[in-house]
Amino acid sequence: MSKVKSLVKIKPKTYKNGDIVKVDFVAMHPMETGMRKDKATNQLVPANYINNVKFIYNDTTITTMNVWESLSTNPAISISMKINGEGSLKVVFSDNTGSVNEKSIKIKPKG
Amino acid sequence: MQRREFFKKLGFVAAAAAVVPSVSFAADAAAPKGPNEFSFEEALKAITGSKGATASDKIKLKVPEIAENGAVVPVTVEVDSPMSADDYVKTIHIFATKNNNTRCIAAHLTPANGKAMLATRIKLGTTQDVATIVELSNGTFLTAKQNVKVTIGGCG
Repeated sequence: MSKVKSLVKIKPKTYKNGDIVKVDFVAMHPMETGMRKDKATNQLVPANYINNVKFIYNDTTITTMNVWESLSTNPAISISMKINGEGSLKVVFSDNTGSVNEKSIKIKPKG
Repeated sequence: MQRREFFKKLGFVAAAAAVVPSVSFAADAAAPKGPNEFSFEEALKAITGSKGATASDKIKLKVPEIAENGAVVPVTVEVDSPMSADDYVKTIHIFATKNNNTRCIAAHLTPANGKAMLATRIKLGTTQDVATIVELSNGTFLTAKQNVKVTIGGCG
């Protein structure tokens, strides 16, 4: 259960109720495919990639994703979201080694 | 007799010549394949069933035509959809058709997204097509693809 750093951002920074905003999610994850060889030891590096991402806004799951190893190292995923009241946005992501991490931010619409 | 001997020898040489390349072919066949070998056609069949997907200009697939670094290729899929409760985009799949595992990401959207958009960065091993399959809430499938030239492969 390793801790993975991640980042969630809403663009634009200021938004109102009913606005459709962009949610950027970045995780600091190696995304090993399991097919790359370590040049020093000549051994295959075991697969280690994010396989599931969930976006939860005020206890409602708005998007779930299945992810495979073809995503780049430190994967960045962006989706759209409709602002619908104050609350929090939580991103829960798990990888194939079984570690689950989450990151939540506050949603504060202005006006 | 001499002639017979000659043909015997000739046959032996031919057999030896035939054996050598077959050994090297066997070595080629034994080259490691990916753990998740899954072609785009198989994926298309598994996702759409017998329906198949129709090419549509409702999908905006944004990929660079030439990717200098195959390790980081930005992909954006936007679908023209009202995203209302009875007409929305259910799932956006992104595929790299020639990677060992063609599947990159499948995002299951809901009307709460407001707009059908998915952007990410993928790895591409070689020059290939990047494809997307979009499932709508009424059960139809749309598809779009674009070729990407990769200068330096991004796998391994």
